Amino acid sequence: MFEQSDELHRRARAFVTAFEAKAAMPEPFDALACDIARHQAAHVEGFARLCKARGIDVTALERASQIPAVPTDAFKLSRVAAFPESDARVVFRTSGTTIGARGAHAMRDVSTYDAAALAFGRASVARDLAKRVPVLVLGPSPAVLPDSSLTHMIDLFVHALGTPATSAETYLIDADGIIDLESFDTRVARALVAHEPILVLGTSFAYVHLLDALGDEGFRLPHGSRVMQTGGYKGKSREVPAETLRRDLARAFHVPTRAIVAEYGMTELSSQFYEQTLNDEHLPHGVYAEPPWARVEAVDPETLTPVADGEIGIARIVDLMNVDSAVVVLAADRVRRVPQGFELLGRAPGAAPRGCSIAIDEIMGR
Amino acid sequence: MIRDRAERTRDVMRLVTAARAVARDRASLTEDLVSTTGLSREGVELGFTRHLELSPTEAEIDALVATAGDAKHVAVILSANVFVAPLRAIAIARAASPSVVVRPSRREPHFARALVERAGDPGISLVDDVDLSRLFGGEVHVYGRDATIADVRLRVGERIRVRGHGAGMGVALVSRDARLEDAAAALAADVIAFDQRGCLSPRVALVVGDAPRASAFADALDAALTSEGARVPRGLVHADERAEASRYESTLAFAGRVIARADHVIGVGPVGAPLLVPPPARHVHVAPAASQEEALRLLADLAQVIVAFGCDDPALAERVAPRHARRSRLGDMQRPLLDGPVDRRDPT
Repeated sequence: MFEQSDELHRRARAFVTAFEAKAAMPEPFDALACDIARHQAAHVEGFARLCKARGIDVTALERASQIPAVPTDAFKLSRVAAFPESDARVVFRTSGTTIGARGAHAMRDVSTYDAAALAFGRASVARDLAKRVPVLVLGPSPAVLPDSSLTHMIDLFVHALGTPATSAETYLIDADGIIDLESFDTRVARALVAHEPILVLGTSFAYVHLLDALGDEGFRLPHGSRVMQTGGYKGKSREVPAETLRRDLARAFHVPTRAIVAEYGMTELSSQFYEQTLNDEHLPHGVYAEPPWARVEAVDPETLTPVADGEIGIARIVDLMNVDSAVVVLAADRVRRVPQGFELLGRAPGAAPRGCSIAIDEIMGR
Repeated sequence: MIRDRAERTRDVMRLVTAARAVARDRASLTEDLVSTTGLSREGVELGFTRHLELSPTEAEIDALVATAGDAKHVAVILSANVFVAPLRAIAIARAASPSVVVRPSRREPHFARALVERAGDPGISLVDDVDLSRLFGGEVHVYGRDATIADVRLRVGERIRVRGHGAGMGVALVSRDARLEDAAAALAADVIAFDQRGCLSPRVALVVGDAPRASAFADALDAALTSEGARVPRGLVHADERAEASRYESTLAFAGRVIARADHVIGVGPVGAPLLVPPPARHVHVAPAASQEEALRLLADLAQVIVAFGCDDPALAERVAPRHARRSRLGDMQRPLLDGPVDRRDPT
């Protein structure tokens, strides 16, 4: 029943293998994207409807740019999966909003997600590390948040990149959001003695809480340490401009600002995007690179056609690892293509209110 | 000096009389209103002839006066509202106080100006701006976005009582016994008023029954909006609204069903799914609700923003509508009685 899907997963993972081997990609990006779209049109009722509404004949697809994008909101309203519910191995869910709806991204074969996440994550934040290092997570463990794709991804990193440690020594935020500063201190002290660099992984709001807890104090991390920062604030802490957070983290951890690397991902995708400041001293913060199996385009929010490079549009993301869900996702984030990747410019604002009729943003904000 | 009820009633009626005069001479205002509201000429005409409260009953005015409170001064900050709304806002302020200053909306100042000038009431004056730092005592009545109201509260602190009337939306509920064509025709009238940019404007319609019934209602609403649209064309739709509509269309094309026309869009959501609120400008999200309990469950997350609740069955509306929402028959959602603020959520 799943032969076609299995074959597409195999082809998708071949991109990852080639990337890790620094080899040429095994086939054209567009060819695989179009084959995945055909698979999804055959097995995802909603995607077939979307293609029909857009007048797209999937049998005639030649380029990824012709594939209609599935808006992230669709993951909240209906199931976006090319297999029966009973065959889902994991279901990742978006964080809840005040209006309650949570999107769900089910996966039948999570190994494709894992391979891609680990390969590009390793290349972006740990390329120069010759051996395993202590990994500290400012976030909850998978036991606390089992349906978070971010937690899943971080757990992958812990197991693939980290030196042995217990869960309590690794995940330093408990279910109530309390940061275990003592364990943090202990592990940092141990790493300093062993001259081991540390990899710190966490969300923006967790870092803000940490910085607030530290005040003027800091944790001097060993030489070569780096910090991965991801996610928005979602009302969980005060909001801090990216530049300020980066500067404050660098100060608190005594690391260069280039060692603070931002990641951009979302539950609806299987691929992630990273700043490359650790790998290329010429690349600025704020510019995210794609792995060779994903493309981020800036499109006009109304017509959904690409805008010129350098202009701002909505992120239309082609993700070859999304084999059994949506190969093209329309995010709600504004982006701008630049020569080295794309800039992330925050969430697209909803329509401005022109009467007392409530704006979507206001509904979400209540 | 505390004014008696008769005096307050007289002051309110003077405004109603002024509104009648403005409506009668509306030709001189129409082009300005088309320009500032983005409505079509027919949309402006509809606002004057169907939605401006020109014939309130004595009981309505009594209710408005009775609930207006009492203040030495009231500053009214009108902001981003439907163009006929200043009548109610100023009437409430005038019922409350012998001394009212009005700052019209910057986006649409014409109706408020015309109304105040026609009223010729020495107790009401127009200002270009309200200097909040110079206000001591009295009240500020703010109409606008949540952020605007919060900003005013922050700036006046404890010195002044602020009544804030924020943004909201309407929800329609079509009962199991409703004749779909009739309900759709009535709802279409509510949708086209002010191109759905009012806080009473329905943007979500729940249909009690199964998915085919909701879909049939969507078809009936499509026909009704097409017919109403020919009579009252939609006005300007801004780029950001078109962008949000495009996203809504794609989402519903995937998740349910979408009927996209030149002048309106109707989405039909899947059974049991969360309600997706579409942007204003004649976009309606239709969803099935298997039962009254299901309707309550679906609306729970939106309850705080529901200002108006329209239903063909008043008894059902009583059971499902949030306590604070104005309830009315479908077709009358945009014609609230002139008996107090349209928004009955706690303004303080």
